[in-house]
Amino acid sequence: MTGAIGIGAGVIGTAVTNRNPILRWSYFTEQTESIVEALVQHLQLTLSAVGIGLIISGALAAIAMKYQWTVGPITGTTAFLYTIPSVAFFGVLVPYTGNSAITAIIPLVCFTLLILVTNILDGFRAVPVAVKDAADGMGLGTSRRVLTVELPIAMPYIINGLRIATVTTVGLVTVAAIIGYGGLGRLILDGLRRAFWTPLTIGAGLSILLALLLDLMFYWLGNAVTPWTRRKRT
Amino acid sequence: MSAATVLAPLAQAAVPRDTGVFEFLLDGQRWTGSPGILGDLLDTVLLCAAVIALSIVLAVPLAAYLAHERKAQLASAWVVNIGRAIPTFAIAGLLVPVSLRGGYGFEPWPIFIALTLLTVPPMFLSTYVAVKQVSPGAVDAARAVGYTERDVLTKVELPLAMTVIFTGIRVASVQVVATEPIRAFLGGDGLGRYVRDGLGQRNQNLVIAGAILIALLAGGTGLLFTAIERLVKPVGVRRLGRPKRAGRLQSADPLGLAGEGTEGTAGSADRDPVVAAADRR
Repeated sequence: MTGAIGIGAGVIGTAVTNRNPILRWSYFTEQTESIVEALVQHLQLTLSAVGIGLIISGALAAIAMKYQWTVGPITGTTAFLYTIPSVAFFGVLVPYTGNSAITAIIPLVCFTLLILVTNILDGFRAVPVAVKDAADGMGLGTSRRVLTVELPIAMPYIINGLRIATVTTVGLVTVAAIIGYGGLGRLILDGLRRAFWTPLTIGAGLSILLALLLDLMFYWLGNAVTPWTRRKRT
Repeated sequence: MSAATVLAPLAQAAVPRDTGVFEFLLDGQRWTGSPGILGDLLDTVLLCAAVIALSIVLAVPLAAYLAHERKAQLASAWVVNIGRAIPTFAIAGLLVPVSLRGGYGFEPWPIFIALTLLTVPPMFLSTYVAVKQVSPGAVDAARAVGYTERDVLTKVELPLAMTVIFTGIRVASVQVVATEPIRAFLGGDGLGRYVRDGLGQRNQNLVIAGAILIALLAGGTGLLFTAIERLVKPVGVRRLGRPKRAGRLQSADPLGLAGEGTEGTAGSADRDPVVAAADRR
């Protein structure tokens, strides 16, 4: 990598020409390895950020439900984290955590928290009081009531939160390319720096496809865990 | 890598590495010089203002009309979902060679279009939800006293929905300002250039100073829109008082898609509908 990030200062030139088309298909066969590597890194970053985000959000939501007064501070803090501009967040961490995956993961996780916490809380709030009373009346303990009665009812909300968080994260991972960890975003940024359009198009196109695919996957998953909604509709 | 190309290489902000963060930020020369912070700030603000204005024009009237007519509920939900799946950086990147081919240069069209695509779906969603949530009683009463459908929309539904619509506009606008700095990595400048140049020159203080500038602008945008929100609240609605309104506007089913998992209550006046309108980069 050159020291300075100059954009469009490539040997190939910036014009879209026959030698530098928007997409050269042979690139897929020539550079399969680097494309797959970028795709895998993109998925890894997305899934680990959402996974860690889910664990933290679950804990935060549990605290918020147990101690009502913490709802405000928890929502406020996660909302604040959510509004930190991505470029600033990634950049600011570099001096502390270096050009490592951690530097990319921390902001990504922070951005998922608001979405996940809000949806988890909404989900558990959607459980009717009568249902909780019925569960208590049947003699279920707190943990069994939460796990076997409340969680399934809250599930569509949680899945929806995961869906939004995942799709958003796929987009944000591309921005992490500015600190060298962007998965497909690196193809985009490299393409821009060298004014070489094929990797740019492939990186951007694949990240959009990935987002749409994961969105669809969570849509199916949401339907799969709530069989009763389908019964109701028909 | 040689810089001899069609495009003049961007001027870098040359800052010695031993310049402290606040030494940089508080130096008047850095603000007024060329390239200077004021110039970049103006660049960013103009682009964001144009994006926000265009998005409002595109999203709000259409969403209000469709919600009033109770039309296109499923289509709206899908548009919003697909809109959310679009990564701004990727879209802007894709548009760069297209823009160059058309002779429009690196800037500012790709980032402008990408930011508009980022902003329209949440604004559309919050407006749709806000209008749909207006109490049916109020709408029926307006019809009963002889309001035309147009009057119902403009004199009853929109004023009652205004607070929620504006909250959606505020959230989306903060997103625009928070996302705009990627422009510096797409062949443009704007306030993001200090993070870019700092990363390129391995100058940590410059990166931090740039991040502070971006964060301050995003925070300032939020405050500005909160102030506007208070100003535009219709006088009649102000008299309604909080508790009643919060109760009436609550709905767990923004686009009539219960069961698929809903997107938070965009309606509650006490809670930020960030997630309902949440759409990022």
